[in-house]
Amino acid sequence: MVDDLRKYLNHLLEKVNGLFSIIITDRDGVPLVRAVTERAPELALRPNFISTFGMATDQASKLGLGRNKTIISMYSSYQVIQMNKLPLVITFIGSDNCNTGHILSLESQIEPCLKELAAVVADAP
Amino acid sequence: MEKELDRVIEEIMATPNVNGCLVADHQGLCLASKGTAHVDSAGMIVAISEQACKIQPNLKPPTVCLETDTKQCLIQRHGTITGAIFKQKS
Repeated sequence: MVDDLRKYLNHLLEKVNGLFSIIITDRDGVPLVRAVTERAPELALRPNFISTFGMATDQASKLGLGRNKTIISMYSSYQVIQMNKLPLVITFIGSDNCNTGHILSLESQIEPCLKELAAVVADAP
Repeated sequence: MEKELDRVIEEIMATPNVNGCLVADHQGLCLASKGTAHVDSAGMIVAISEQACKIQPNLKPPTVCLETDTKQCLIQRHGTITGAIFKQKS
């Protein structure tokens, strides 16, 4: 199951120019499936970076605008897009000039593959 | 702030056979959309125009026309802004 998903994520990576990695983690930042190119920044792949999204999305959900779904972080040379699919988190890392809208549209293509993985993570003690 | 853009979109929508219109920035984020054009397709539209520009990078961006039996989608890039018009075939 995971191998097929990894292959599919690698296929999606090739479709978007400037997209360096797609990582599916649990809310603590523990990687479950990773598709990474060599251009991805090492620091952004660490669990302590990814897990901050869990806190950020919880806080953003308290703004009175409803449940937070996505956080886009723009840095000087990278952009990080994280999606709230609790108990899973999807993290996309791309170059600063990468097509953000195209990355956001990948959500609908990845979502159907997450059901099984989400069930496994939810059942984990 | 977006009054002028809204006015242009209204103008395009008033053209016969046009049933959707979308404007996106260079990051593929939707600036405005009306009619059948879906906000989520902004990224894809910008990606299509980017790929089309690579065919002849020295010339000005081409107009891309996607056609089905009944509908047409015209995509044109101008600087950092990309526009798409969805038309019913006459």
